[in-house]
Amino acid sequence: MRKDRREFFLRLGTGAGLAALAAQAGASLRSLVPNVSYDAPTTVKLGSPAEFPDGLKFLPDQRLFVFRDGSTFHAISAVCTHLGCTVRAEAMSQPETSTVEGAPLRLTHRFLCPCHGSKYTGDGGNVSGPAPRPLAWYHLSVAPEDGQLVVDLAREVGRDFRLMIA
Amino acid sequence: MTGRGAPPDPAKPAAPGVHPKPLWSVRPASDREAGDAIVSNFLLHWFPAKALKASLDWNYSMWLGTVSAALLLLLVLSGMPLLFLYIPSVERAYASVKDIEYVVTFGSWMRSVHRIAAHLMVAVVFLHLARVFLTGAYKNGTGRGQRREWNWVIGVGMLLLTLFLSFTGYLLPWDQLAYWAVTVGTNIASSIPFAGPKIRELLLGGRAIDQPTLIRFYVLHVIALPGLLGVLFVYHMWRIRKDGGLARADREALSGERREVPPVKTKTYTLLGIASGTSPAIRATTLEAPDATVNSVPDLTRRAAIVVLGTIAVLSILSVFIRSPLEEPANPLVTPNPAKAPWYFLWLQEIVTDTTVHIGSFTINGAFLGGVILPGLLVLLLTVWPWIDRSPAAAAGAWFATSRRTQNLVFIALALAVVLLTLVGLLCRGPYWNFYWPWEQWPEIPARI
Repeated sequence: MRKDRREFFLRLGTGAGLAALAAQAGASLRSLVPNVSYDAPTTVKLGSPAEFPDGLKFLPDQRLFVFRDGSTFHAISAVCTHLGCTVRAEAMSQPETSTVEGAPLRLTHRFLCPCHGSKYTGDGGNVSGPAPRPLAWYHLSVAPEDGQLVVDLAREVGRDFRLMIA
Repeated sequence: MTGRGAPPDPAKPAAPGVHPKPLWSVRPASDREAGDAIVSNFLLHWFPAKALKASLDWNYSMWLGTVSAALLLLLVLSGMPLLFLYIPSVERAYASVKDIEYVVTFGSWMRSVHRIAAHLMVAVVFLHLARVFLTGAYKNGTGRGQRREWNWVIGVGMLLLTLFLSFTGYLLPWDQLAYWAVTVGTNIASSIPFAGPKIRELLLGGRAIDQPTLIRFYVLHVIALPGLLGVLFVYHMWRIRKDGGLARADREALSGERREVPPVKTKTYTLLGIASGTSPAIRATTLEAPDATVNSVPDLTRRAAIVVLGTIAVLSILSVFIRSPLEEPANPLVTPNPAKAPWYFLWLQEIVTDTTVHIGSFTINGAFLGGVILPGLLVLLLTVWPWIDRSPAAAAGAWFATSRRTQNLVFIALALAVVLLTLVGLLCRGPYWNFYWPWEQWPEIPARI
């Protein structure tokens, strides 16, 4: 009977010690998980639409391609969907117009990734290399207060998205 | 060193285990003195008093483990001054490394010692692993309490730590190589289903690569990983002693061949061990024969010194002639084209390039398959191999044992595949990771977009 009690307390003590160690280790490790993110804001003003040339403009800070075709705008991410390198745009010798998700689109460029050789068409479609998904399209709008072009990098849109500016 | 220090006072008998000389005897006069040298010396206490001649053979172990340890020593030593000179801040890291390279007296040399030793350590640790595999040295002999398979597992862990130390090390200059390596490396972690993005956030210390990222990798590089490697290294060495030395010794013991040798005066023998004849002779196994072993001092210590000092000499001289490169400062806006990993990760870069699979509308990212699953399986296979290996104990401690032929061929084939992929990445990849033969001219690519 006494032996049982001793064994019980021995196990209780060992268990409590181990539990305390585990809890302290857990607390120390938990402190490394960030609670606050000081990332750049996801909604960014890109400047007046008039500043954008017809065709393509690359915005390195947002890693974004903004396309303009007259008064129509759309924006495609420059972040490769494979491992996150910045893809480069290569102008096509013969721009072509194709229908993407039911909406006509003039394709002027294609995109190539320098890290692992993924290739994308002008609408961001992944055609070869290891990229698993098309490049993301982001939502564009016009800021009501000053008429600047605004991109929302947290809001992906379909490939038929167009921003028309009157 | 002999002859220095106070001469032993003949009136005072030496206490047991106390070596009368201040360091150790380079040329011990007797077996007793040689044994005492080991027992009483802090630096030598991890050696056995006697070493098997066959285990000291250059052709058996090639002393690759000792070379790895010497490189680790050099990395710690050359890392110390760099610790004082490097500033782990995204604004100042690059400039501080540039200062080490161009301004600090002998800075360039120290950085080269550190960098070349790191590169060589990856190669030598891998060669050491290959040697242990090809000699079946992770196999237990007949000794009680041997756990050679666990020392192999520790070794695999140390290879991974070596690679992770290299990875965290080349991030510290915060140049283009560093920035894009962090990008790709942490995105590989991010490709793990469900937990991936959380793991990436934990590695980066946020969602973007910034100061918290640099400080994390810095602390890993200078404290956490070297500390862990040190603990494993000590345990690795201790296990070798507990397992009875190199596997070569088991082989000698197993051969069981007995031959007649003259008796050793200081040993006692049972009557059964004494062979009949006119002059006393002992029938001993190869291992027990007095000519099979030598005193560790000086035979083992001399060779260890040659290997360690030789490694240091080669490294020091190489570092005078080979400068360490520094790419452009980290620029999140432009990915270099092509963006190549260091040579020891190029095979992985090849694999993540080639393993994106489309099954119908379902796609598995090469980042996950080639960056996590395949290398994970390779490491798992390496780890559990001693338990898969069913060859007899006699296959341990010999190069290319016939009973392990298939295993050795599998290992060599896998190693060659890795080497081949490395060569493709190194020599045959150009802009946009396109394939070019080494003699082909790369096309002109505009520097920016």
